[in-house]
Amino acid sequence: MYIEPTLFVRVSSIEKITKQVKKFTLFPETGKELPRFSGGAHISTYLKIPSGLIVRQYSLVSHPDKRSNYEIAVRLSENSKGGSLHWHQGMKVGDRLQISYPKNHFSLSFKARHHVFYAAGIGITPFLSMMQDISTNRQTFELHYASKSEESCVFHSYIKKHYPNQSHFYFSDQHQRLQTTSLANHPIGTHVYFCGPEGFIEQFRTASIELGYPILSIHSERFSPPKPIVLKAFQVKIHNGITINVSKTETILEALHKHGIIAPYSCQIGRCGTCELPVLKGRVDHYDSFLSDEQKEANNCIIPCVSRAKSDKLVIEIK
Amino acid sequence: MKWTGDLAHFPYPFKGSTYRYSNNSIPMKQPYCIEVTSSYKKEMLFKRKLLSDHPERCYQSLPHSITGQWEIVEIVIDHLVSQYPQDFSIEQENNRWIFTNKILDEKKEFIFGEKNSLPCEPLFFISQHVQEDLIYMRQRDDNLYLDAGQLCFPANWSLAFNIGMKFKSIHHPIPGFKEEGLDQRILQFLMRLEAGTPWERLNWSLMAGDRLDTSLETFNQWGRLRKQVTSENAGELVHIRVEVQKLFRLPRTNSILFSIHTHLLALEQLATNIEWLQQFYEILSELPDHIVEYKGISTYKKAVLKYLEKQLQQVKTL
Repeated sequence: MYIEPTLFVRVSSIEKITKQVKKFTLFPETGKELPRFSGGAHISTYLKIPSGLIVRQYSLVSHPDKRSNYEIAVRLSENSKGGSLHWHQGMKVGDRLQISYPKNHFSLSFKARHHVFYAAGIGITPFLSMMQDISTNRQTFELHYASKSEESCVFHSYIKKHYPNQSHFYFSDQHQRLQTTSLANHPIGTHVYFCGPEGFIEQFRTASIELGYPILSIHSERFSPPKPIVLKAFQVKIHNGITINVSKTETILEALHKHGIIAPYSCQIGRCGTCELPVLKGRVDHYDSFLSDEQKEANNCIIPCVSRAKSDKLVIEIK
Repeated sequence: MKWTGDLAHFPYPFKGSTYRYSNNSIPMKQPYCIEVTSSYKKEMLFKRKLLSDHPERCYQSLPHSITGQWEIVEIVIDHLVSQYPQDFSIEQENNRWIFTNKILDEKKEFIFGEKNSLPCEPLFFISQHVQEDLIYMRQRDDNLYLDAGQLCFPANWSLAFNIGMKFKSIHHPIPGFKEEGLDQRILQFLMRLEAGTPWERLNWSLMAGDRLDTSLETFNQWGRLRKQVTSENAGELVHIRVEVQKLFRLPRTNSILFSIHTHLLALEQLATNIEWLQQFYEILSELPDHIVEYKGISTYKKAVLKYLEKQLQQVKTL
């Protein structure tokens, strides 16, 4: 399986910023500076624990132009499967780990006339670098931030100090509720951004759509864990010809080539899309990073250099 | 520039016996966006002359591209210094940078991120130190836009025309590109590029003559050579033009750097490698008309095929 290139870092400080959240500072091991990033960016962290490798995504909360170190904030999750638990209980200053290069799946809109951020709890993290970017670009924004209490509100004093006029806090222990009704008050051309628990995002997304926000003006971020690969053997039938066996250890593309079938390809890591083939029958198990979610759901094409079959047999078309 | 080095290092673009448009990108083994070749000095002088004589043709930028331009300065200098430490160096004291180009014997001091510390825009500055053409594609609102570029050696396209355009609009003239859904597929691929994983692809065309600066604006000067190709002079006159194209995610602006290094090889040189000669002959014979037309080969394809056949016959009779 393809493993993305990573950077080696060490933990240089751990700071408990609320009862449940710790902030970790990571500095590059090689002495070479870390890449800059854009507002809303995150990294994947790779933690080696006795039971295996844990991959988790965290937004970068340091300044996007700061290259000497990165900062992430990790909330100890009540039902942690190991990720946040290890960060909170296992991690020590000086520990070494691998991180991905910064990625951004939650970027600021370029054409927005005004940005409005809705955060719940630890969902505040991607907005910190976004607010920094906006301040430099001299654009306008507002932040609506819900938390259980002032004490548990992550980065509360920092935000209050730097963005006193743009930020609004809602503490449920003081009976303040962040409600979707405020979505109706933003000027035309506003882009809205949601980050927090699944239910929170869904509620605000639905309300925005009902209010008539264009889909492209609604942004949200969910982190999903990588899909573990299921390696089983199956068969592939070429629509007008032979059936070939794909063993556990080979890819469809390799099996095709082994049988002398001409199938174009390029990257062989499921990213460039060159080897895409139409699927006529059977269920596809997608492992590529090329097709969109809609294209994957349609189940009518496959990236054979990495993807496999869920069913025992796939019928594909090769011209 | 016309290939003068060892043929074994020429970026020969073909595999198989047919050619179709595709995203033939592969992850790079050596992650550098630039390459310094033996014709560096000569090409830099030529490039600088073009940049000063025809700035509107060779350089375009939109005002919001400046942060991205600094990112390009940073990545290009980093790659020059890491790959060619004997030729390039950088001294950094906070944001005060001193860049030294020992090949051209030049030293430049500037404040990183401070536009007024350079006499020109950052992308214009750094492009005067590399053989590559440098294109900045900004990813914004789920699309890619050509927001800045330095282009001295285009293969028959116009930067001044394409500035500010979306990826699909830029590639609209390629026949079949849209109909086959390739434009959407390649756009999708580009928007998912990640920092730390740069890509490389080779693109090719044929040309009559050996000009590097075949812009659309100067077609009247170089296009007419196509009519002068015969099976007798094709070996010398016709060149295969190969672009080594590299793609890097720029993480600060979440955009893409697209660098293009152009190489020219006369057919008579290509023909000295018998495998290449045979393979290129097969590919050109089979090439669909719409690709022949778009690559500008129609006028002289017959003459080139005849030339290649003659060369193949000579090989066989030896």
